[in-house]
Amino acid sequence: MSIFQVINTSASALTAQRVRMDVISSNMANMDSTRGKLVDGEWQPYRRKIVVTQPQGDQFSSFLNKAMGSSDADGVKVTEIVEDETPFELIYDPDHPDANEEGYVAMPNVDPLKEMVDLISSTRSYEANVTAMNATKGMLMKALEIGK
Amino acid sequence: MKLFSNTINQLEQAINQSTTKQKVISNNIANVDTPNYKAQDVRFNQSFNNELQKLSANKTNNKHIDFGTTGNGFQILTKKNSNYQHNGNNVDIDQEMTEIAKNQIQYNALIDRLSSKFNSLKTVIKGGN
Repeated sequence: MSIFQVINTSASALTAQRVRMDVISSNMANMDSTRGKLVDGEWQPYRRKIVVTQPQGDQFSSFLNKAMGSSDADGVKVTEIVEDETPFELIYDPDHPDANEEGYVAMPNVDPLKEMVDLISSTRSYEANVTAMNATKGMLMKALEIGK
Repeated sequence: MKLFSNTINQLEQAINQSTTKQKVISNNIANVDTPNYKAQDVRFNQSFNNELQKLSANKTNNKHIDFGTTGNGFQILTKKNSNYQHNGNNVDIDQEMTEIAKNQIQYNALIDRLSSKFNSLKTVIKGGN
């Protein structure tokens, strides 16, 4: 067991939360982007993206640690970024260049309220992990004082 | 004559346990937003350790080597059958933050005790000078 493993655990969470914040920012920025993807010559609106996380622990070392009876604490990792499949909202705007024959425009499936809630939750988690990392750092520094 | 008293060994064990606890709590906090993650908890108990020491291999020859049953005195348990958040995750962030603060103070106290042990030894070696 490396003494820095605990700090690495917190660091993995900081990375994961930052990825979440990046994706949320991208969702917010593209709230009105009607040209997200070109499918068969037709523009599709931007689709909301979601970060998928899972506990880290599929490496050999974590299985070995588990078998040896010690903790399998390895932190968290981002496994994939998936697209939200909820349908697009149709808004009546006949002057829009991307409007269909009836004059409706498909808008991205981004809900700003949802994004804000996710953003705040992500920020709080980030702060909690910073606190945990500082606590660990303080403990390691204290351990260096043994015998002084 | 023993130079290092038994207290130092006990302190060492306690510091090891504190480190393990820190690791488990950090992991819980890291996974606070992971769907279906179940929080882990460390239990320290002497009786578990004692039982572990009693385990012995069934030997057909006395040259056979015994099982290595050096228990480290703690178990890591997963808290199942509870949901704290709607996504199957049961990490209670308030509880984890409290635990981490408590653990930090305990760790610092242990290190202080250990340091003063070594200081006493130093005083003896120097003959009080």
